[in-house]
Amino acid sequence: MLTKDLIRYKIQKGQIHPQFIEPTDSELLAIADQLIAVFEKSPNIPRATLLESSKHVIDSTPGEPIVKRGFEKLLLDRTEFDTAPNQELIAFRKKLFVETSRLLSQEQFHGYTDYQRKVSQITAGESQPEIAAIGDGELTDKLYADLPSYQPVLTFNTLSPERLLHRYNAAQVQGLLLHCNTLTLKLADSMTAELRQLFKYLRFNQLLSTIRKEEELYQITVDGPLNLFYKTKRYGMNLANFFVAVLHQPRWEITAEIQLRNRQPSRLLLDESCGIEPISQQFLAYIPEDIQLFQAMLRNKTDDWQILPGSQFLPLTGDFYCFPDYQLVHKSGVETSIELFHPWHQGHLIARLNTLAEQTDASLILGVSRELEKKPIIAEALAASAYFSEFGFIFRDVPTMRALLPILNSLV
Amino acid sequence: MSTPLKINFDKGTLILQNVPKALESQLQDLCWDERTLTFRAPAYRYRHIVSHLRAHDISYQDTARQFTTEPFTLQKEMLPYSYQTEAIDAWHANGKRGVVSLPTGAGKTFIAILLIADTQRPTLVHVPTIDLMHQWSAVLKEHFGQEVGLYGGGHHDLRDLTVTTYQSAIMHAPHYGNRFGFAIFDECHHLPGGQYQYAAISSIAPFRLGLTATPERVDGKESRLYALVGECCYEAKVQELSGKMLSKYRVVTIAVEMEDTERIQYNEARRTYLNFLKQAKINMGTPRGWHLFLWKTSQTEEGRAAFKAYLTQKQLSFASTAKQEWVWKLIQRHRGDRILIFTQDNDTAYQLGERFFLPVLTHQTKLEERNDFLNGFRDGTYSILVTSKVLNEGIDVPEANVAIIVSGSGSVREHVQRLGRILRKREGKQAVLYELVSKQTGEHFVNKRRRQHNAYQDSE
Repeated sequence: MLTKDLIRYKIQKGQIHPQFIEPTDSELLAIADQLIAVFEKSPNIPRATLLESSKHVIDSTPGEPIVKRGFEKLLLDRTEFDTAPNQELIAFRKKLFVETSRLLSQEQFHGYTDYQRKVSQITAGESQPEIAAIGDGELTDKLYADLPSYQPVLTFNTLSPERLLHRYNAAQVQGLLLHCNTLTLKLADSMTAELRQLFKYLRFNQLLSTIRKEEELYQITVDGPLNLFYKTKRYGMNLANFFVAVLHQPRWEITAEIQLRNRQPSRLLLDESCGIEPISQQFLAYIPEDIQLFQAMLRNKTDDWQILPGSQFLPLTGDFYCFPDYQLVHKSGVETSIELFHPWHQGHLIARLNTLAEQTDASLILGVSRELEKKPIIAEALAASAYFSEFGFIFRDVPTMRALLPILNSLV
Repeated sequence: MSTPLKINFDKGTLILQNVPKALESQLQDLCWDERTLTFRAPAYRYRHIVSHLRAHDISYQDTARQFTTEPFTLQKEMLPYSYQTEAIDAWHANGKRGVVSLPTGAGKTFIAILLIADTQRPTLVHVPTIDLMHQWSAVLKEHFGQEVGLYGGGHHDLRDLTVTTYQSAIMHAPHYGNRFGFAIFDECHHLPGGQYQYAAISSIAPFRLGLTATPERVDGKESRLYALVGECCYEAKVQELSGKMLSKYRVVTIAVEMEDTERIQYNEARRTYLNFLKQAKINMGTPRGWHLFLWKTSQTEEGRAAFKAYLTQKQLSFASTAKQEWVWKLIQRHRGDRILIFTQDNDTAYQLGERFFLPVLTHQTKLEERNDFLNGFRDGTYSILVTSKVLNEGIDVPEANVAIIVSGSGSVREHVQRLGRILRKREGKQAVLYELVSKQTGEHFVNKRRRQHNAYQDSE
């Protein structure tokens, strides 16, 4: 992601406008290409040398430095450095400092050069030839030669110049979302695989959401528990991560409140017309492992029920919606859905139990992990829920048919 | 019979169910959460809510609180000084919450240990650095004779006595904020800044203690600190304790004249930097000044040259050759003493370390070597330690008696804290703090400003 000094934006009449670059700009593509080439050649090169080379590209090419430094930052995020401690050097320093400390506490010197000469004598007497060979000037240079600027590159995860430009635009938005209090997302209910991924991101990032329908679009308000009391940026990182999944949606629109330091809050309005391409991989044809396992277990036990390939928004009591994990259909045509709650879904489960308290039909079956059930608040809420006693089950790692089938069979 | 009110803990907040209508407006910060269809309050309001329910004889079911009393036993008897007893009494009188402000070396940790033994509640100690986390852990283990949990710096071990960094706490308090009855915030002046406050907000701990030498903040946010931890219930200034509980000290300011070539370089760089500020209409005295400067200097060639000039003039005033000469003179003058050398930035620290072949401790120092440097300095293996900012706070190095400030910020707090590092009392100890200030530079004015603090008056 980009640091705040690398984000480009303008604020006009309370609205914040990220300054996107044109992803087909040939000049920028050429610069990106040069920078990527520098990074591709970087394995085994020290960080300082890499940065020097990339600085050379930044300084010697046309265009805004802030954009090029942004490219550099995104490439650095894809670079792994060797940060393991240099034990040999650490041991040498220890030995040297014990000696210099003794010298400085006990001996009188005729000036600094006298001291330097005595220190050189210590290293000359060093049993390790590499260290003994270090001259005065070199000793100074090599004493702390394991600082980050000396760390060599281990790997660089390369990408194409086009991808870097799109990633840069996405990072502009993510950089602003780091300073976001709350975010509202509007989505069309169309491609369920993308939606599934979006909701996985949402729940994985432990964000709270309310889903409502407004005309043809679903409106999802996303924030964290403390947002109720404070305009906190506490969940900014979660929201920035969540944005990656938004980019996979065919139609989307976000409204976010951005609070930059020492500034009045401003609104960020953005939709799919901004043209940012997804920056994460999307495995649309891929059926997640948990679903494959679930399908296999279902097939082993019954031919009456089948798991549908995707899920859809499910209307609940009031004007709320949810996005379940699985959708099942019985050969008679009866349909139902299952929503699973893992240990980190405490808030979501409480919300769901409250929403379903007045619901009588069985459109949604609730699966709760054993670990979550152990929490007193949840144990109590489940015990008090008439809905859960009829349409809920407990699972350990994955839902078992033994727990689920009786509920499914009761529906037909 | 009506369903009792229920209080639960959820990610740093409290969820309240079955709240009687009349109560909704009486509880501070209680809000209806449409996302979960429950009432919600920040976790730190736990004490207020429970006290209110008890006072009004309202029955409730509490599954939020996940702690009970713990029989912490001190391994040996500890006799506090009179001012420490006063601080303890003041904290109790303040309802077992509040900030205690004492100079560095006056035994704040000692007060905290006595209060942990008093309150008998699982305790979470918050500290700003990894070094302090390990230091607190060792002290708690020694005094209570039990294992101490660590949370932060790669450790994830929760125990009845746990030490965490603020950084780690803001991430994890939403998960364990209901497991501790006593929250201690060391160097608590950090707490109101930005995200750190959520460590206190997300905890239900009814008993709270803040420890600091300087609760005041330039931004005036100490009121937020008092709201989250409790009012400042006890305060003693460095001069009140100097010579009695703290070592006597002297502050010596040395005005350093730059060498001619550096002076020319400095003047030129300074001129370029100031001209840019004027041209770009940037006032560095305003809160947005620095960010604006960063932004504008990144836009053009001229801007980048101005930024480079800014760094050059700063670097020259921080670490001129003349200053290095002075460091050498002082090292020689204080042969046999335990010397801490402070710098404003890591580059200068390593520059000095490389020139004089000295151990340098910064945030870049790996754990193993970090411990070696600190322990070696304490036991006398190393008589001099160079550091930038990581030793500014809390770290206990009672043996240090000389501090050389090669460069620093304009912050009074930073300088009081650095002074504090050499004030811990030892028989016959006379502490001395040297400040090296480059003549006719911006540093001169910064120094003048911070000298207005009372700690800058010698103790003698």
